[in-house]
Amino acid sequence: MRVLLVEDHAELADTVATGLRREGMAVDVALDGNDALAHLALTDYDVLVLDRDLPGVHGDQICRSLVAEGREGRILMLTAAGSIEDRVDGLSLGADDYLPKPFAFAELVARVRALARRSGVLLPPVLVHGDLRLDPANRLASRDGQRLSLSPKELAVLEYLLGAHGRVVSAEELLEHVWDENADPFTTTVKVTIKRLRAKLGEPPLIETVTNAGYRI
Amino acid sequence: MVLHRLRSRLPRYTIRLRLAVLYGGVFSAAGTLLLAFIFLTVRYSSHGTVVSAQSAVAKLVERHSGQATPDTTLSVTPESFAAARAQAQAHQLGAVAINVNNSDLHRLLIFSLIAMAIMVVASMTLGWLLAGRVLRPLQVITTAARELSATNLHERLALGGPDDELRELGDTFDELLGRLESSFEAQRQFVANASHELRTPLTLERAILEVTLANPAADAASLRAACERVLAIGEQQERMIDALLTLARSERGLERREPLLLDTLTEEVMQDRAEEAARRGLRLDSNLQRAPTVGDRRLIERLIANLLDNAIHHNSPNGWVTVATTVGAGEAILTISNSGPVIAPEEVSSLIRPFQRLGTDRTGHGDGHGLGLSIVDAIATAHGATLSVHPHAAGGLQAEVRFPSADVSQPRLIQ
Repeated sequence: MRVLLVEDHAELADTVATGLRREGMAVDVALDGNDALAHLALTDYDVLVLDRDLPGVHGDQICRSLVAEGREGRILMLTAAGSIEDRVDGLSLGADDYLPKPFAFAELVARVRALARRSGVLLPPVLVHGDLRLDPANRLASRDGQRLSLSPKELAVLEYLLGAHGRVVSAEELLEHVWDENADPFTTTVKVTIKRLRAKLGEPPLIETVTNAGYRI
Repeated sequence: MVLHRLRSRLPRYTIRLRLAVLYGGVFSAAGTLLLAFIFLTVRYSSHGTVVSAQSAVAKLVERHSGQATPDTTLSVTPESFAAARAQAQAHQLGAVAINVNNSDLHRLLIFSLIAMAIMVVASMTLGWLLAGRVLRPLQVITTAARELSATNLHERLALGGPDDELRELGDTFDELLGRLESSFEAQRQFVANASHELRTPLTLERAILEVTLANPAADAASLRAACERVLAIGEQQERMIDALLTLARSERGLERREPLLLDTLTEEVMQDRAEEAARRGLRLDSNLQRAPTVGDRRLIERLIANLLDNAIHHNSPNGWVTVATTVGAGEAILTISNSGPVIAPEEVSSLIRPFQRLGTDRTGHGDGHGLGLSIVDAIATAHGATLSVHPHAAGGLQAEVRFPSADVSQPRLIQ
């Protein structure tokens, strides 16, 4: 899942991004409104975590323009103004969720996951395909009752492929939604991760390679 | 007690009632005078008419009897008979005239009194209505003042009507509301900013601790690093709260005033900062002339320290800071000037507002809390001093504070 975190406090942005990455999310950080708009123009994010009081372009403005464009990504507003009026204002601007600061990190993670499930096709909290079970919130994957030990990236790739419901997913799409902007688009990192994932999933093979198109479960 | 109970039972003696009674009173007095005048005029002028009629008859009788006088016989001549008849008729006529006159006057008096009573009642009613109309703007102002609270300060009376005293009162009231509204708005903005500034470090502390603890692979070194960061953030919060308290204290006004020397205080503050300036590679020059003033020593120290800290922290590598105190035009003047990044003139005024930071400072790298110049401004205002800040064209700022000099300043009331 690809997340854009827009937060003007650099240290906070850094800390939250580290935490979210450890949860297996691909996180990009923008420190002001203009930077955020530049990121949004390049990438389709699944979830936008948006601080409201931003230098440059105000968070409300970003929210409004995204809604006007009819973007698919979900918006979680994050702000220090936590009164009921502020929350109502934020939600009526078109935000999908609102979290006042200071927040519990676990709650932020849970809300981002919940929003990502609702971005595009609705997904259940636990993904099941045959004898394969994936619980993204608890980072648990099992096949035929056997627990699989997957890295965060492998989990994220598996989650994305399961969420595609049998649709063919290209390597570029995987790169866009599972890796953040620091990934080199010309490496074989997707290929390598898929290979390791296949090995860990075992027999019979679940991930199918569609020539010149991508991967499919 | 009895009086009190009586008074509570009476209608309130309002201006409207007073005006109505006044109208009624003035009308009754004027009406009474007018009626009395008319009555007397009528009475005396009609009496005169009767008298002149009587005398005319008398003259006629005299003429007839005069003609008869030479004839002294008792024989009744037609002339003497006519004269006697005329005389009797004249007496009768006079009596009738007086009778008629008396009953007319009586009727006039009765009618006048009835009309007078009706007009008094009518004039009081009319007075009541008119007073109500004239005083309606007052009623509007009273209602508005009664319903006024912090949440509806944006409402205005906008009294229409002629440009009179009540309209002026309404407009003055509107201006007062305007001033209150902007002052409330500034307070609200300040509280919102303060809350933002206090919540951000809390959020950061919490995020650092939770993210570190959530990492199953966290070792002692990473836990230690997290603790140290949280500690540093805590210290920053402490400075922030201190600054807020200083701001609140200086806005409340001065608790103490003592004579002091601006140059000596400046020198002390500079000595404390000399090491830091040297560490940052800054040249710190001073030209301190004797500058006496009066004020709160701790607050003025804080003012100098904030200005100097700003000059040191917002400087360029190998830059300079110059500090000067002097006396001019009856004022003790402190000037602190520094090199640094270029600041647009239109950005300068916003620097004095609370929680305003320029550029990268806002992203939390700087150690400033965005209150430095607001505090300087509040302290200066409390001392009756003025703060002016100008950017240098080549980059950096010059801040100047003009205190009333101790030699000329009178103890004055400061809110």
